[in-house]
Amino acid sequence: MIKALLLLAGAALVAFFLANRRKARAKAGVKIGFVLFVVFMVYAVMRPDDLTVVANALGVQRGTDLVLYALVMGFAFVTVSTYVRFREQEMRYARLARSIALQNAVRPEDQPDATAVTPAADDDDRLRR
Amino acid sequence: MRNRDVWLVVPCFNEGTVIEDVLSSARETFPNIVAVDDGSADESAAAIHSAGAHLVRHPVNLGQGAAIQTGVEYARVQPGARYFVTFDADGQHQVKDVLAMVERLRAEPVDIVVGTRFGRPRREGDQVPLIKRVVLKTVVMLSPRTRRLGLTDAHNGLRVFNRRVADDLNLRMNGMSHASEFVELMDSRGWRVAEQPVDILYTEYSMSKGQSLLNGINILSDGLVGKRLPR
Repeated sequence: MIKALLLLAGAALVAFFLANRRKARAKAGVKIGFVLFVVFMVYAVMRPDDLTVVANALGVQRGTDLVLYALVMGFAFVTVSTYVRFREQEMRYARLARSIALQNAVRPEDQPDATAVTPAADDDDRLRR
Repeated sequence: MRNRDVWLVVPCFNEGTVIEDVLSSARETFPNIVAVDDGSADESAAAIHSAGAHLVRHPVNLGQGAAIQTGVEYARVQPGARYFVTFDADGQHQVKDVLAMVERLRAEPVDIVVGTRFGRPRREGDQVPLIKRVVLKTVVMLSPRTRRLGLTDAHNGLRVFNRRVADDLNLRMNGMSHASEFVELMDSRGWRVAEQPVDILYTEYSMSKGQSLLNGINILSDGLVGKRLPR
């Protein structure tokens, strides 16, 4: 029961931060959360027995299990937010590439210079040269 | 010449072996073609130029959706452009289908005509492979949007549309998910949609270029995340 609550609370937190990702408050929240997380982990390493007391209070058997739950939630959050961030980045990158492409369009009547029609070099190719 | 107001948008990625023939034969009917070379590493760009098409080159490979968006953005600012066609570079679409679709767009009060592989009763000559047929039909059944629009083919690359659609088009899914995004836009923007039965030529070449069905998973996840991306 309490485990379900823990999971639900974690999921709700992740959803909240993703929805409000662009607001300064949520960004600050993520940073505060990170610091708290680190402090909590340091404390957990130093006083594992205290952790077990907390875990028992929450209905979890061992302290290490609680840490594991916290880590899984943290990892899920990082994964999802990284994915979304990459997608946004990708879109900006696409728009940049698109505007370059449109500026350098070659009309049929144009005589393109050689560089305009030679294949785009792979990064590997460039390294080899 | 007729069809001067039609622009074909052809995304192209490493299609150097076939693109020149595809473009040359399409140009006999449609003089205006813009081919978007999506960062190909072969001779695609040179082939496009010698086929007499307008060439727009992505400096890096971005994906088919991004290439279509680039091509439409190029075509919609060309003087006299009224109708726009998304056409594949690998020769699986046919000019006669495009012609019929453009005529429909001219005559009927619709904004976009989409090709469908399942528009008429099944015949001997149909080439859609069984597994593709099953998957595509399942996608249609699972998508309330597609059903509401009355579409029978979830991901057909052949589309003909007018200025309203072209000016409004803003595809953000760079990869293959643009087809679902297109359908979503049709629904949310209220474009008037019609379907046209078309023949897709499944040649060995186009099959080898075709999408893996597993890519459906990527498309699904893109659909979930896409809503979060800014327009």
